[in-house]
Amino acid sequence: MIDIRVFYHKTGRARYISHLDMMRCMQRAIVRAKLPVWYTEGFNPHIYLTFALPLSLGYESKSEVMDLRLIDDAFPLSEVTSRLNDALPPDIRIHTTAKIQNKPQAITHAIYTIQLFGNTQSAEVLRDRFCAFMRSTQILVEKRAKQGRRKITKQIDIRPMCELLSCEVSGDVVLLTLKTQAGIQSNLNPSLLLEAFIQTNEGLPLRWHICRDALLMEDGSPFC
Amino acid sequence: MQLQQLDPILMRVQKPARYTGGELNSVTKDKNSVFMRFAFCFPDTYEIGMSHLGMKILYSLLNYREDTWCERVFAPWVDFEEEMKKENIPLYGLESFDPLYEFDIIGFTLQYELSYTNILNMLKLGGVPVLASERHDLKNLVIAGGPCACNPEPLVDFIDLFMLGEGEESMNELMDLYRDCKAANESKASFLQKAAQIGGIYVPSLYEVTYNEDGTVAQITPKDGAPKTVKKRIIRDFDKVFYPENFIVPFMGTVHDRAVVEVLRGCIRGCRFCQAGFLYRPLREKKPDTICAECRDLCESTGYEEVSLSSLSTSDYSDMESLLTQLFDYTQTRHINMTLPSLRIDNFSEELLEKIKAVRKSGLTFAPEAGTQRMRDVINKNISEEDVMHSCRLAFEGGYSSVKLYFMIGLPTETEEDIRGIIELAQRVVDLYYHTENRAKGQSVNVTVSVSTFVPKPFTPFQYEPQDTFAQIEEKHRILKDAVTSKKISLKYHHSDASVLEAVFARGDRRLAQVIYKAFLKGCTFDSWDDQFHYDRWMETFKECGLDPAFYANRRRSFDEILPWSHLDYCVSEAFLQRENKKAHEAAVTKNCRMQCAGCGANTLVGGKCFD
Repeated sequence: MIDIRVFYHKTGRARYISHLDMMRCMQRAIVRAKLPVWYTEGFNPHIYLTFALPLSLGYESKSEVMDLRLIDDAFPLSEVTSRLNDALPPDIRIHTTAKIQNKPQAITHAIYTIQLFGNTQSAEVLRDRFCAFMRSTQILVEKRAKQGRRKITKQIDIRPMCELLSCEVSGDVVLLTLKTQAGIQSNLNPSLLLEAFIQTNEGLPLRWHICRDALLMEDGSPFC
Repeated sequence: MQLQQLDPILMRVQKPARYTGGELNSVTKDKNSVFMRFAFCFPDTYEIGMSHLGMKILYSLLNYREDTWCERVFAPWVDFEEEMKKENIPLYGLESFDPLYEFDIIGFTLQYELSYTNILNMLKLGGVPVLASERHDLKNLVIAGGPCACNPEPLVDFIDLFMLGEGEESMNELMDLYRDCKAANESKASFLQKAAQIGGIYVPSLYEVTYNEDGTVAQITPKDGAPKTVKKRIIRDFDKVFYPENFIVPFMGTVHDRAVVEVLRGCIRGCRFCQAGFLYRPLREKKPDTICAECRDLCESTGYEEVSLSSLSTSDYSDMESLLTQLFDYTQTRHINMTLPSLRIDNFSEELLEKIKAVRKSGLTFAPEAGTQRMRDVINKNISEEDVMHSCRLAFEGGYSSVKLYFMIGLPTETEEDIRGIIELAQRVVDLYYHTENRAKGQSVNVTVSVSTFVPKPFTPFQYEPQDTFAQIEEKHRILKDAVTSKKISLKYHHSDASVLEAVFARGDRRLAQVIYKAFLKGCTFDSWDDQFHYDRWMETFKECGLDPAFYANRRRSFDEILPWSHLDYCVSEAFLQRENKKAHEAAVTKNCRMQCAGCGANTLVGGKCFD
């Protein structure tokens, strides 16, 4: 048996596949691809699959990671890539299959590119506002949490959890590159930051498009 | 339209995957290289429509044609509809995102009466005139088929033509005619006249209907050479019928998210309430090898982890043993679960149960339909209490501790005793559990009693019967509730004001079209969804149109009345239906078709003999 890691893009129409539906979609693709995968041996045998870091609904991603277990140690990894690509819908594309080097716990950060559409706002004004927003020393947001069994909301400062790498105007869109904490230790969903931005600029008509570009480890290298 | 235009609204609605398409095995063609574009519309949500086998078959059959591109359209849920209106986005085909008004043919499947307003709404959202009289061109031809097409009269103002019977048989003939007429630039009127000459095609505008003073139909007169009666089409050799090699695999969970193979069509049983049992006659089966090959193809092209053997009554398949043995060889080694819906109680064997359990244990549901033997004889269900008890004992011995039982109330000749009999039967099943020696240890039994309201349907022996009034049904629900004394019985029934409307449309005439139209203008859609159904709005509309729902739902028809669907021929004769109706009132049963032919007339469709 061998554990392998599949890296893939999720774009276009596939953005609207929820995490749960993605599990099902991949299981069926694996069956169609006739990969020699390992099935769990419990009451309801199913293909053993794990995803490193779930992606929010509506996000595009160029850094999706799925681990699976093959029963044939000698099965060529390039064959996994090509067979899965043949079996998947066009908006989900595998680009690499490799042996697993790090556990998903090694993920510490993610890089997102975000397009902001300001509607009536000019892109320049929007850019300046966002940069000003990111200069705040503290960004407080309400986050739902659990205390024991009780559901509570607590206030957290998300400013230290993210870093704006670039912020520029491109046509009538503002393009951001954002580095956030990610993984099981501490995870910031960029839409939380964008909602806080709307709140500090009351009534701002804002739309966005988010793409997760990369998952990084502590030393800054790509997760693999 | 492009996906980008939808992006802003997709994030604001529930389940956006309903609206994005792009699933595996969905068909994309170049719209400039096809001659006809077909929109297959299911007038309910994506997850219901995507579970419908007929759509999968016809989608595949149409896309098999090089000159045609068939796409899917579903009714948008109310949240998405609101956003579409706000952003001025027309209803579109899921494959191309092109608006409905760009399609040549717009085809609806009529699965249940309460979906009718959704048809109107989908046309409107798609920028297509709702009234057939306002669509002047051949383009945007609106057609419909499916079980409710057996009495499509309430829809004649909106639909240009109906396909009676099995679509696999007539669809290609219709498409060929459309292709020729489109190429020759012929008018819609000329196309419709020619279409009426194809067997199974009903063009309602070519028939004139007059009424008597009491509101019943006086006469139905064909014109422009349309046939006097339109006879349904069927596939004679069912083993050779077109079947898709692949299904679209949805991303989101749907009601039935699995591979389905139809093992047989039609039904030998002749239960007198069951419309499908008469509409799909005669019984025709596929060979075990064909079924197995279709299962294999589908599982391999979809990756589904479950395959279902579908039919009106799967356990009536004549060669079940060899079919299951052959299939299990395949499914078990591939971790594929097999489900067998629609098994009958009287031929449910231990071996069958073992096989169902072999892969994954799911729930067991039996349908005695009625609580007393007299009532079961009236409806010709042809099962005895021993059959019910035997099946339940097998289930309990097999480790099941809960079963579900289906019943109907409001059946003809029903008395209070029959109603109480439902709960009494359930109680005896509870008692049986505790008398079953090798039942699952340490578990309490649960018997779910699910009760629905009987709706008399056309082409059944009960087509002459009145439906219980709303007040009568409420009273019967009360009797049921009072009869339950055990916590082991969970009683489930449905608030039944919608079934009144179902009864009205099922046996309605052309005058109801204005009611549907007006109710739709008042915002009635998704009438089969409790939270969207507005009984008062409907009743108000009937009043405005001067029509009485009770005339359609609660009136007994005499045998000599001209019924609104009497020009449509499903090859079950009126004489037969009347015979069966009389027998029902005498609580006399009729044998199943394999045992003895009851002379319904469907044998004429297969050359005189239904069975070898």
